Amino acid sequence: MTVYLVDTIEVAADRLEAYLELVETVGVPVMTEAGARLDRCTATSVALGEPVEIQIVWSFDDHGQWNEIRKNMVLDPRWYEYGRRGASLRTGGTRRFHYPTPAAGGR
Amino acid sequence: MLRRFEMYSVAGGDRDPKVRRLAEAFSTCGQFIPEVLHSAVGWNLSPAPLQLVWEHAYASPEAYRRYMVHPFHAAVLDRYLLADSPERVVTDNDLGAGLVGYSCDGPTFVLACGVRRLVLLQVDRAASEAEVGRAAEVLESVPRATPAMALSVVGANTMGRAWFDGVTPMPGSARWSHVWEQGFESLDALRSYLVSDTDVASAERENFSNWRGGLVTGSVSVHYQMLVSDRPR
Repeated sequence: MTVYLVDTIEVAADRLEAYLELVETVGVPVMTEAGARLDRCTATSVALGEPVEIQIVWSFDDHGQWNEIRKNMVLDPRWYEYGRRGASLRTGGTRRFHYPTPAAGGR
Repeated sequence: MLRRFEMYSVAGGDRDPKVRRLAEAFSTCGQFIPEVLHSAVGWNLSPAPLQLVWEHAYASPEAYRRYMVHPFHAAVLDRYLLADSPERVVTDNDLGAGLVGYSCDGPTFVLACGVRRLVLLQVDRAASEAEVGRAAEVLESVPRATPAMALSVVGANTMGRAWFDGVTPMPGSARWSHVWEQGFESLDALRSYLVSDTDVASAERENFSNWRGGLVTGSVSVHYQMLVSDRPR
């Protein structure tokens, strides 16, 4: 059963580019080398006069694999840089684990 | 049995709603993960730059490994802890005391309520096992000479590096080599011990300098009123 890690990030519109650059150049290498898959990274429009929401979805097979990924992240100095720079750019956000549902055919 | 402590500095202090939710998650963890035993939280009252302490235990390394892969651990506890989580509430500090703990034969550390005090010790790496063992015996004998201290347990800080599976040391080093866990009925009892004229309390007041030939090269302590809500679900 696939598990999805869903990070929803709120940033000011003028920081969207910087946050996406951080995800692409640091987050993706760290997370994928640790064993996670990047399922998608999407954002709301910058043209609406409100903060932008970025949603980053990672996936893995189960919580056992997540525990290995977590270990690899903790041992990778770049992961701490990803955390520090991300915290300085965002204004808020949430982290949730999601699981497949029958409504989508168990995907 | 594995005895384990997590200690954190937090951004918003103990009144921040998210920090309080983390403390509540620690406190009720045993209701969701039955492997988590003897769980209690506390707010540090010592000058050490740490605010939140979670003390708990596991019956075995196998039980610890089940905790590590439990969804409550990943989804709720780590939500507030991991460096890259957008909901992180803990902050970096250089005390090296984030995770400490030791192996023991049974729950000799149990204190139903009262004040817990942890003294993290950096023992001279050149000291022999026998020297360290004798010093631990002296520290564990304190309650016999000083009734103010109800409980005293010393263990090598194996959990500082064996954080992944409870057994295997991970890369890196642990700043604190030993954990000295104490229990008191009340803050008054703790204060009474700290000002007592016993050899060990005197040594503590002098940061263990020259105690047993300079065996202890560094120390830091935290203490807190134990808040227990570890009941079965």
